[in-house]
Amino acid sequence: MAGFLVWVIWFAAAAACLGTGVAVVSFANPFYSALSLIGNLASLAVLYLLLSAEFLAAAQVLVYAGSVMVMFLFVLAYLGGRADAPWAGGPPLLRTAAIVAAVALLVEIVVVLGLAWGDNLSDPAEVTGAFGSPAAIGELLVTDHLLAFEITSIVLLVAAVGGVVLGTTREKEATE
Amino acid sequence: MQVEWWVSVIQAFVVINLVMATFAYLTLAERKVMARMQLRYGPNRAGPYGLLQPIADLLKLLHKESFVPTAAVDRLYLLGPFLAAFTALVTFSVIPYGPGWEVGGVYVPGVVADLDIALVLVFAIGSLGAYGFILGGWASDSKYALLGSMRTCAQLVSYEISLALSVIGVVLMAGTLSLTEIVAAQAGTWWFAAPQLVGLVVFLIAGTAETSRAPFDLPEAEQELVAGYHTEYGGMRFGLYSMSEYIHLISLSALCVTLFLGGWHGPGFDGPSWTGPIWFVAKLAVLLYLFIWMRTTLPRLRYDQLMRFGWKVLLPVAVLNAAVTGILVVWL
Repeated sequence: MAGFLVWVIWFAAAAACLGTGVAVVSFANPFYSALSLIGNLASLAVLYLLLSAEFLAAAQVLVYAGSVMVMFLFVLAYLGGRADAPWAGGPPLLRTAAIVAAVALLVEIVVVLGLAWGDNLSDPAEVTGAFGSPAAIGELLVTDHLLAFEITSIVLLVAAVGGVVLGTTREKEATE
Repeated sequence: MQVEWWVSVIQAFVVINLVMATFAYLTLAERKVMARMQLRYGPNRAGPYGLLQPIADLLKLLHKESFVPTAAVDRLYLLGPFLAAFTALVTFSVIPYGPGWEVGGVYVPGVVADLDIALVLVFAIGSLGAYGFILGGWASDSKYALLGSMRTCAQLVSYEISLALSVIGVVLMAGTLSLTEIVAAQAGTWWFAAPQLVGLVVFLIAGTAETSRAPFDLPEAEQELVAGYHTEYGGMRFGLYSMSEYIHLISLSALCVTLFLGGWHGPGFDGPSWTGPIWFVAKLAVLLYLFIWMRTTLPRLRYDQLMRFGWKVLLPVAVLNAAVTGILVVWL
């Protein structure tokens, strides 16, 4: 019963993930694209839950679906997305990048399928009781991944300082 | 202890309905208290002492026409109020209100869902709550509603940071994100309100702004914006928005009781286990009264004052409080 429920939830979340992912790139109205992206992030959070990464799921909803996407919607609602013309394709560089990304994804899928058929994915990962708990993640962040953690915090600080700089110069120009 | 799934379902049903009932009578209490503070009587026609007023209000809202403005984006316009009400209600699933009981051989826990990430979940759900307001304001296709939702959004985003930072002191002292363990850490000792007084004050101010209550009720400043993001809503859809605002206030007060005021524990002593919920409700009532009191006392801020206060006063104080607590927790 529990196994069946997990399958049902996995299937629903995975289908929602793919569906909203396609919706993000196919809506002409950016407001709907942003809403689909929120749906996508939420269904990803459900998949995290199934992988017993509760903290990651909650953090994903809090940071991405909650704060980041609010800013997206804020800007889109302000600029008024309704009358916008649909995106008519980008420069050739973008198209090349899209093709490269699609090929990389295809290779990944082929490799995973090959591994699955070769029975190399049949051993499920070991999940201990503390796996995915806030304490375990916190310990990993300040031991194994300390460098990445600190670099990320500097990158975010740079972004914050940049925001302040942009905001203040505009104010000065306005008063001059 | 293992909790049967049907116990959780029944508990969730009971808790949701109790919260709704609290909301209904909170509206009456607010009108009564405000009236007495302004030397008026307040609602006193429906039933004895006006006690049936919330029910009369509900019936009125249910009987109103459920109209949709022609220019509105239908589905999103309908989704907005539900999203707001849902996110407001969900918070209560992780708030502990008692020690847990053995009823007829079945273990009934004192919380609907005991998670070790409860506090992160509360903030995650709270941040989703903003979508109800954005969707409602945008989908109404009205300038008042759009401006109101923009203000709500900017206010929520600004004050959410201070709110989250103000509880970090409590998390550091208790060493856990689980709300049941935070309550347990306050048993038989000082409540976190004493060592975390700064955190409590920041939490209350940021919480007032989060719930858009006076003096931070700019999103629905009548003189400028008519009614803010729900200008184009009527009937029970408006009712759902109104409900979500009040339930937000209740859940925020419940969170404050849990984090800073010892949860369901009595002051210094614990009676039999059934007194837990009574202490919890008593503390909740005091906090709710405080919020109503503030509404009748304080005038509304100007928008630039609100933003300046949030970013230049509240946020630094919250950061400082978190940093000082962190240093003290490590050194002591």
